[in-house]
Amino acid sequence: MKKGLIQATDWYERLVHWMLALSCLALCFTGLAMMFHSFNFIANIMGGLVVTKYVHNFTGLLFCLALLLALKMWWHEAGVFSMPEDLEWIKVAGGYLWHVDKVPEVGKYNPGQKMFFLAVAIFGAIMVVTGLVMWFPLSFPSWLVRWMFTLHALGFVVIFAFFFVHLYLGTIGSPGSAPAMFSGWVTRAWLKKQHPKWLKEMEEEGTLVVSGEEKGSH
Amino acid sequence: MTNHWVDFRNSDVILIMGSNPASNHPVSFKWIQEAIDKRGARLLCVDPRFTQSAAKAHVYAPLRSGTDIAFLGGMIKYILDNNLYFAEYVKLYTNASFLVNPALKLPGDNNGVFSGLEGSKYNKDTWSYQTGGDGVIKKDPSFQDPNCVFQLLKKHYSRYNPDVVSKICGTPKDKLLEIYKEYASTGKPDKAGVELYAMGWTQHTVGVQNIRTMCIIQLLLGNMGIAGGGVAAMRGESNVQGSTDHGLLFHIWPGYLGTPTASLKTLKEFNEKRTPTTKEKNSLNWWKNFPKYSASFLRSMYGKNVTLEEAYQLMPKLDDGANYSWLTIFDQMYKGKFTGFFAWGMNPACSGAHSNKVRQAMGKLDWMVNVNLFDNETGSFWRGPGMDPAKIKTEVFMLPCAASMEKEGSLANSSRLMQWRYKAVNPPGVALPDGDIMSEIYFKVKELYEKHGGPLKEALTKITWPYGKKTLDGHYHYDPHAVAKEINGFFLEDKKVEVPNKKGEFKEFKKGDPVPTFAWLQDDGSTSSGCWVYCGSYADKGNMAARRGTNDASGIGLYPEWAWTWPVNRRIIYNGASVDLNGKPWDPKRPVIAWTGDKWVGDVPDGAGDPGSGRPPFIMKPDGVASLFGPGLADGPFPEHYEPLECPVEKNLMSPQKNNPAIKRFDKPGVGSDMDVYSGVASCDPRFPFICSTYRVSEHWQTGVLTRWCPWLAEMQPGMFVEMSLELAKERNIKNGEKVIVKSPRGEVEAAAIVTPRFKPFNIDGNIVHEVGIPWHFGWITQARPKSKYGPVDKKPEVFTFGDAANLLTPTIGDANTMIPESKAFMVNVVKKGVI
Amino acid sequence: MSEKIKLFDISKCTGCRGCQLACKQWNQLEAKQTRHTGTYQNPPDLQANTYLLMRFQEMADAKGGVKWFFRHQACMHCTDAACVKVCPSGALYYTTFKTVGLNPSKCIACKECIAACPFDIPRYDDKTDKIYKCDMCESRLSNNLGPACAKACPTGALIWGDKDTLLKLAYKRAKELGDGAYVYGDKYVDGTHLVYVLQEKASVYAALPKSPSVPLSIVLWKDVLKPLSLLAAGGVLAGSFLHYIIHGPKTPDDDSVTKTEGGE
Repeated sequence: MKKGLIQATDWYERLVHWMLALSCLALCFTGLAMMFHSFNFIANIMGGLVVTKYVHNFTGLLFCLALLLALKMWWHEAGVFSMPEDLEWIKVAGGYLWHVDKVPEVGKYNPGQKMFFLAVAIFGAIMVVTGLVMWFPLSFPSWLVRWMFTLHALGFVVIFAFFFVHLYLGTIGSPGSAPAMFSGWVTRAWLKKQHPKWLKEMEEEGTLVVSGEEKGSH
Repeated sequence: MTNHWVDFRNSDVILIMGSNPASNHPVSFKWIQEAIDKRGARLLCVDPRFTQSAAKAHVYAPLRSGTDIAFLGGMIKYILDNNLYFAEYVKLYTNASFLVNPALKLPGDNNGVFSGLEGSKYNKDTWSYQTGGDGVIKKDPSFQDPNCVFQLLKKHYSRYNPDVVSKICGTPKDKLLEIYKEYASTGKPDKAGVELYAMGWTQHTVGVQNIRTMCIIQLLLGNMGIAGGGVAAMRGESNVQGSTDHGLLFHIWPGYLGTPTASLKTLKEFNEKRTPTTKEKNSLNWWKNFPKYSASFLRSMYGKNVTLEEAYQLMPKLDDGANYSWLTIFDQMYKGKFTGFFAWGMNPACSGAHSNKVRQAMGKLDWMVNVNLFDNETGSFWRGPGMDPAKIKTEVFMLPCAASMEKEGSLANSSRLMQWRYKAVNPPGVALPDGDIMSEIYFKVKELYEKHGGPLKEALTKITWPYGKKTLDGHYHYDPHAVAKEINGFFLEDKKVEVPNKKGEFKEFKKGDPVPTFAWLQDDGSTSSGCWVYCGSYADKGNMAARRGTNDASGIGLYPEWAWTWPVNRRIIYNGASVDLNGKPWDPKRPVIAWTGDKWVGDVPDGAGDPGSGRPPFIMKPDGVASLFGPGLADGPFPEHYEPLECPVEKNLMSPQKNNPAIKRFDKPGVGSDMDVYSGVASCDPRFPFICSTYRVSEHWQTGVLTRWCPWLAEMQPGMFVEMSLELAKERNIKNGEKVIVKSPRGEVEAAAIVTPRFKPFNIDGNIVHEVGIPWHFGWITQARPKSKYGPVDKKPEVFTFGDAANLLTPTIGDANTMIPESKAFMVNVVKKGVI
Repeated sequence: MSEKIKLFDISKCTGCRGCQLACKQWNQLEAKQTRHTGTYQNPPDLQANTYLLMRFQEMADAKGGVKWFFRHQACMHCTDAACVKVCPSGALYYTTFKTVGLNPSKCIACKECIAACPFDIPRYDDKTDKIYKCDMCESRLSNNLGPACAKACPTGALIWGDKDTLLKLAYKRAKELGDGAYVYGDKYVDGTHLVYVLQEKASVYAALPKSPSVPLSIVLWKDVLKPLSLLAAGGVLAGSFLHYIIHGPKTPDDDSVTKTEGGE
């Protein structure tokens, strides 16, 4: 491993992330297959719509589990905003959209990521709840079931769109980010650019793990 | 029916009373609806319960079961009081002008009975007409003579004023008058009214008189013989008309020829006794031809194997005065008078009044043959509820037979329409058409008689049986066409016959030629005809019943080329009364027949001679006119209201005579049995405070032998129910759908309660009287049973039905004339299950 | 072929249930064990084995009289059918007769149609894991026969025929009947293919919606959110692309040049 890389995530974090990401992806595509007749072909690949339905439903359970684990794990880091710096960051949109001389320094997760996390949390929960009702529609009044379908679709609109935002920002939109969720090791430069405050905190607390160095030896 | 199903469309007012055609004759509503839509006809419904028919009616009036004569008697009074009768029709075509024996006493003057009552039988000497020296009946066409039929009718029904009627029937007076007014509006020459009845009128101790009352109304209003008129007996079974025509009942041979009694020793005596005579000079008196029909029938039985006289001697006779109707049969069976019994296409264990007695009676037999499509409560009576198979010696044989669609043949419906039907599928398994089974039995019995002899052996051995041949399979297969041809009749020898109605003109027939119509039948034994009224159904032009022509030149829906109607393809009988003396239809817009100056057009004319001949049109009556005064019945020349034997009132508000005096009570010493018990006869019985009536639903048929096995039908009507008013349910703390017990002195059934506003308590002379109703389609055999109760070959229904027969409750009491049981009005108790 | 409808005139129905039976027979539907619950109506509701139900309803009127009506309940065959809208598999479809057909072999038992139907018609069967409903006897229609139920009706209460003719007839009949009689169905969901002539207010009849329409939630879902989901995703992709080429990615600063570049 290249020396000087910093550990951003541990295996558990990455496991939960990918559980959530992959189940979400599977749900999106199986969902699409059922939502649009023109995407029925996806179902055909999977062995038909009935199989697709069951894959979707049971993947939903996995997604639910992943979502719960993610919430437990990330709530403190990404579920609460720290003021005032987060607000400052939001005011300048993290420097993503226009030129900003000095982007306010934020910690491990910037407010954008926090918002994404919260969106995933809220809409994910909506998807789980509405999905469960849709799975057993005969046990609920039909007016309720009808709105569950609508909410599920709304959730999909948001999650599907966010998925691409996340994909962009996690890859080419923010080069150097992807390794955080693959190997877990990132460059100091990336960390300094994206999460300078966190870097400082870790440095101060001595929790920084750098490849090729003893933990906390710096 | 005097008219036919399609003819309902010609009516202006349709009265449904004593029936529920919407449920039980659904197709009739095609024509009723057409009358409503196209003519603006009014539909009236009178029924104890708000039925499916009532739901379609413009006016509904409730009445207590068993009070129809009071209701209709009030209508007669209304018609007479308000001069709403069709005066010319009444004068020309009824016996209204006939002068009656002044010694006749009417119930109003004679403690509620007619003169001549001796015990439970009437001596009818005073029920006669005044005649002149030439024997001709004296008449007063002005209707002024106090002894003329018209005045007697008026006097008799003057007692039936709306207030009393309303108190008896429980019908609100305004509803009563509304129905009277609407129906009486058909007394105009250009209006037609029809009455639709079924078992709701017949199954009473006054059953025949119920119908008679309506006949009187129809005659007063000029509704007989016209399009859209008549009295419509809606048959409860597709071929019950046919089976009655062909001698199903004990008292008639095929074609309504009265069965001989033992005292009529010779054919001549028999013919003389049965052939009515008249001194009325213009009357055709069609029954004068009786000897032709009896001779032809005897020939159809024995051919030329024996002489006519010998044939008569071989025919079974009734003991004088004896009754062989259903109630009597099972009474005698209960008393051990029978050794064997064929239950052929019947299910008496459920259909017989007082079914508990019937079921016990069958245990007294040595053997029983059950011929049916399915095993039923009759064939399996020995293992039914409360039976101990070990103690029953009766040996039961089941002969599975073919269903109607599994064999070819004809049936005759309520319109007297004989329709040919074709075989669609083979019968399943070893099932055979009834004709094949009968042939097998006949030839076997004949063989035994020939071998071993026996009393009156020739009665069997000399019979002609040309209906089919033994085939290679060793079985006899009957040919329905051979039977149909024999019913029509044929010549037994070459013969030259004078053309009917054409003096001096002759036609030659060869032996074997079919007889063209009954007018050609002979009394000398040269013709054979199995049922004279069907003569012409299978003649020169072949099988008329198989015709499917849809021409209707009449425009009133006669469809004369569709199958064939008895008699002589006449669609509306008594149609001679639909025209005036000049042959002009009373209503030119609705002509059944019309005289064009040289001939009749329209339907086959009935009784109409050439206009001006003076021939009265009701040719089946000896005097040629219809009977307002009808001395032929056992219980009175005019219908009089009597309470049902079991009833909720202390006394008859009309007279001191509570029940029909001419009925046969089975609880009298020496008549019935220990099982024949009644309630509420002498006075109201508080143990059984509610009136009960039985009826049918659309989904099931008769005792349900055919329909209960059909899962789709059982699914829709899964079992016994009892309909009751909200008020009664409240009184008895019964909730809708709950299980209740309906109980009479003779038995009890479990049922689901239908608590409904469609039943309302009656106000009978100030007292609240409740009525409930139950269907009679159910029986224990299709009820869910423990597995152990099914034998290895027992069929298990796909959908079980619940409950046993309604007839477990009904009394052994019959109509004074026909002995049809009074299943439409008897007393019960209703309690929530588990309460008592 | 001209468009056809089934017309049910409640004033002519006698409740004989010939239609209910004919439906079972033509479709060879299994009978299930029922029990008496205090009404003639049985089975109690539409079921997977009962596409057509005669509803028996009693009503005591103010004058002490009573009414008893018999309503023919079956799929209304909407022109704008919520069930077809939501069906993911194409099991529910518009037939060439503009009625709503059902191909159970395609059904994935998502039951979305059950919730969607404004008339509460489709029924789920857990044995076969499919939904079922009246298909207006498509097999008969394609052979130039009317539906079995209409064929069985003895009184003319239920008839099958050209839409224009029957609608005219329906309006004429409603006028004839007067007393508040009206035509139900042609004004809803772009016109149903089962049209009623009714005599009581719709709210009086059990299980009959007063003013049925494709539910708003379903319009939102299928007509708004469904296209929006693709639009939004597409928008995000396009936005990302534009962001990349216009604004550029947020690249980590090379430590050596950070100070000189002073951010991006």
